[in-house]
Amino acid sequence: MPLQFSLQQQSFLPSEERTQIERAQQDPRYFAPLYERYHDAIFRYVYRRVDEEEQAYDITSSVFVKALQSIHKYEYRGLPFGAWLFRIAKSELYQSFRDQKAQRTVSIDKVVLKQVIEEWTEDYTEQDKARLLMALKDLKDQQLQLIEMRFFEKRSFKEIGDICGLSENNAKVKTFRAVLKLKEFFHQKE
Amino acid sequence: MFKILLDRKEPNMEAVRKHQNFQEILAAYNYQQKVNNPWRYWYYPVLTICLLLLV
Repeated sequence: MPLQFSLQQQSFLPSEERTQIERAQQDPRYFAPLYERYHDAIFRYVYRRVDEEEQAYDITSSVFVKALQSIHKYEYRGLPFGAWLFRIAKSELYQSFRDQKAQRTVSIDKVVLKQVIEEWTEDYTEQDKARLLMALKDLKDQQLQLIEMRFFEKRSFKEIGDICGLSENNAKVKTFRAVLKLKEFFHQKE
Repeated sequence: MFKILLDRKEPNMEAVRKHQNFQEILAAYNYQQKVNNPWRYWYYPVLTICLLLLV
């Protein structure tokens, strides 16, 4: 099943988007095209991180209300508008976890899980699957986020960097370290 | 601690669109703006006093 998270899948011209942002900064009613473009991606980002669908809708709604409240502060300095929204989503999500309104969840497709395991072992077994799931639980939250975005959501390093506030290179290095850590935990569970 | 969900079914784009729309978000934003406005308690009394002074 193709994942529909990627910011790069959006095929709008930046100049068109810039005009839409400027109009929305003048009048919030003109935020509609931006909402239409990013709502689904933001919803799915949130949905995969909480256990209940209704909470995902609530958090998505507060992401867009927050975006409307602070769009006047948005200035294009190399950070794409979509990434700016994802950062708001990330902050809203973690606020919900702190307030215990939502349960931190990691949604994984079994096919992806199998692909990860097959890179490390010759044969994929149900036991390996359980070991990998246990190893994931030993990771630090930031490492888990990187693994989640890179492998389970198939995001590029540029996107990961934009969302986490890292450079592309730094995102690459940190993800590589997180994978090494995961691999270490995975082999420790033998 | 987090929960792991395997092969979770995601709602399709159409269902998501039906569940939430921009007008709801805009209404929530307008309400927030109204609630966050520090003048909201003073607006009508001040307006009434001004009208009375004018009369």
